[in-house]
Amino acid sequence: MSQKNREGEVLTGTTILALPFEGGVVVCADSRTSTGTYVANRVSDKLVQLSDYIYCCRSGSAADTQALTDYVHYYLSQWSLDTGRIPTVKTAAHLMRRLIYQNKDQLQAGVIVAGWDPVHGGSVYTITLGGSCLELPFATGGSGSIFIAGLLDAEFSNGMDMAEARNLAKKACSHAMCRDGSSGGVIRTVVISADGVDRDYTPGNDLPFGPVAVW
Amino acid sequence: MSEMVMNSLPVDYATETSGGFSFENATRNPMIMASKGAEYLPKLTKKTGTTICGMVYKGGVVLGADTRATSDTEVAEKNCEKIHYLAPNIYCCGAGTAADTEMITQMMASQLELLRMNTHSQSRVITACTLLKRRLFGYQGHISAALVLGGVDNINGPAVYNIAPHGSTAKLNYSTMGSGSLAAMSIFESDWKEDMSEEEAVQLVKRAIGAGIFNDLGSGSNCDICILRTDGTKDYRRNDVKPNEVAPLRALVNKSSLLSMVPGLTPTIGNPLIQPHPARVSLADVDVVMETVES
Amino acid sequence: MASSGSGYDLSASTFSPDGRIFQVEYATKAVENAGTVVGIKCSNGVVLGCAKPIHHKMVVATSGSYKRIHTCDTHIGVASTGFLPDSRVLVQRTTEEAADWLEQYGGKIPPHVLADRLGSYVHYFTLHGALRPFGAAAVIAGHDPDTKECSLHLLEPNGAPYRFYGVATGKGKQAAKTELEKLNLHKTPIAADEAVKQILRILHLLHQESKDSKPIEVEVSWICEASGWKHKGVPKDVLKTSEDWAKEQLEEEEEDDDDDEEMEEES
Repeated sequence: MSQKNREGEVLTGTTILALPFEGGVVVCADSRTSTGTYVANRVSDKLVQLSDYIYCCRSGSAADTQALTDYVHYYLSQWSLDTGRIPTVKTAAHLMRRLIYQNKDQLQAGVIVAGWDPVHGGSVYTITLGGSCLELPFATGGSGSIFIAGLLDAEFSNGMDMAEARNLAKKACSHAMCRDGSSGGVIRTVVISADGVDRDYTPGNDLPFGPVAVW
Repeated sequence: MSEMVMNSLPVDYATETSGGFSFENATRNPMIMASKGAEYLPKLTKKTGTTICGMVYKGGVVLGADTRATSDTEVAEKNCEKIHYLAPNIYCCGAGTAADTEMITQMMASQLELLRMNTHSQSRVITACTLLKRRLFGYQGHISAALVLGGVDNINGPAVYNIAPHGSTAKLNYSTMGSGSLAAMSIFESDWKEDMSEEEAVQLVKRAIGAGIFNDLGSGSNCDICILRTDGTKDYRRNDVKPNEVAPLRALVNKSSLLSMVPGLTPTIGNPLIQPHPARVSLADVDVVMETVES
Repeated sequence: MASSGSGYDLSASTFSPDGRIFQVEYATKAVENAGTVVGIKCSNGVVLGCAKPIHHKMVVATSGSYKRIHTCDTHIGVASTGFLPDSRVLVQRTTEEAADWLEQYGGKIPPHVLADRLGSYVHYFTLHGALRPFGAAAVIAGHDPDTKECSLHLLEPNGAPYRFYGVATGKGKQAAKTELEKLNLHKTPIAADEAVKQILRILHLLHQESKDSKPIEVEVSWICEASGWKHKGVPKDVLKTSEDWAKEQLEEEEEDDDDDEEMEEES
């Protein structure tokens, strides 16, 4: 995309990721929001609830992604009323993809849609800036993601349990936050499974970073 | 509001006299700027280089603002109001283009009032925040209003929201905006604590605004404070702190003797054209009355 | 009809003093004069069947020229009856709704939602004076890939969608309903292949009873495991054996009846 950042726009230079595990999925994000070189918000929440069991990790323009998640939240409520059911992650991702693709000239949004539904269990979709939607075994996004691609390739496996997945997510996120100038603050995680959602955060002075012995 | 009216006739900008935002030149101006340079553009907007802030304390929220409005490097207004009314229990500090912050807060105030009349219930801070963010997002950043929204409602209690011009929002315990936001934020980051008392909170806000007034060129003059309490009472303190009082300074400056010279002082050849007034009235004694001309 | 001449039957936007909308009732009449449609919700699927009277011997009586059962999405089948052009509009709309849903949400439309939406559409035509209600009814059979369940719905000209274990509409509605009730579908659901046989039996039975000299053609479709949970026509061989069974059954029943009659005469 050749689109330049608009002056004074609040951007979430970000690390976001979603890792599925047996029976659910964990989503994770840092908490830094910046305007140019200024940290506009050091405790922001980039994990947004789209429905009871579906979350969205936001990266890109804060305004654009907030507007998008508002819309998808609304459409999913409508879907639930129409069908009388819990929305599927696939439907949520599809709605997000449609909005991003149809307005891609005016948007800067790269998001991950992840969650649990009774049909498919835990699943993860990533939606790129251009508006393509991909279902992946796990997903990373934002400026910090390149720093942890190798780490996750090495350490992610399909049969993880909830604790393993959350620990790996935190570890990866803290490594990205330490190498990426646009990521930082605290780590926020949400675990989504049939039992519901469980929020958690790790303070910035207690990151699981470096050799294991340190933390 | 002209932009909300579905007008079947072509818009005639020359005769369009109703209020609202105009984005006629939103694409033209950047093009001129790119090809010829900024000096070819008229400087019309009054940017309020500003320090505004808000924080949550034990019994409500405190909002603060400086009172300087600038036009480029000139101080256009020494004592403007930047804490705007939205609802009896909600106020909003504005930074950015003065006209935009003024207009958008007025629009929100009337929208919220209509909503209160319809629902027979108190306005909520989250409602104000959502209305503002929708409007700002809709205008894609062309309304340059950076806001700190603060208020208290019966459902969610005290809350401070930070709203950026492109329409992103964040709910925070303390927030600063404007060119002096960095100076003000340094005060909050070092001394904000949970459950502060009202005196402590007001003192902290004054210090934050003071940091902006004294360390940021775009901010200055006085400090306005607005306190909204959980018990429903409020305290709007206009010019609570006046660290830049100029009247005493002015009094010290000697008036020019030219203003108090005696008529007939200037030597003339022949008869003077104007006869000295018998009562020896000086120019400084004359009241100038502005006349309004009606056509 | 008592309503004609009263002036209350001229528009769908007018109620009669006793609270009826005659235009909608007339539309329902149009359905009651057309070919019979029968649907059965099975233990392992759903089956649709309809009898098409061949009103002229020169009509090419294949499903191509005179289709009554349509596939509106892979998992949705619609059997329609009534005024044929109206039912085609209904089918077209069903197809569009299903496609729109897929485009909007990226998944298959749940059959009950489709029935509801179609209901709203049909109902709209009963509200306006400038519109004519649909002279057609649709039986919607669907499979929901999310819940793995099948369902059967009937939509009538008034726009109300109902869900059924077994349903019949069209000319032979009453008789078919009696036959369906004998099957006790709400307590003991039958399998799809059994349902094909029963539907054929009912359709042929109605044809015999009507003493209509015009021949009929039968269309039968299903959604079940054998069709890959897609809406498809019942394979020719299955149809053949089922039809043979149905005719045999009917003959037996007739003989039994004759025997009974004879016995009655004897006694």
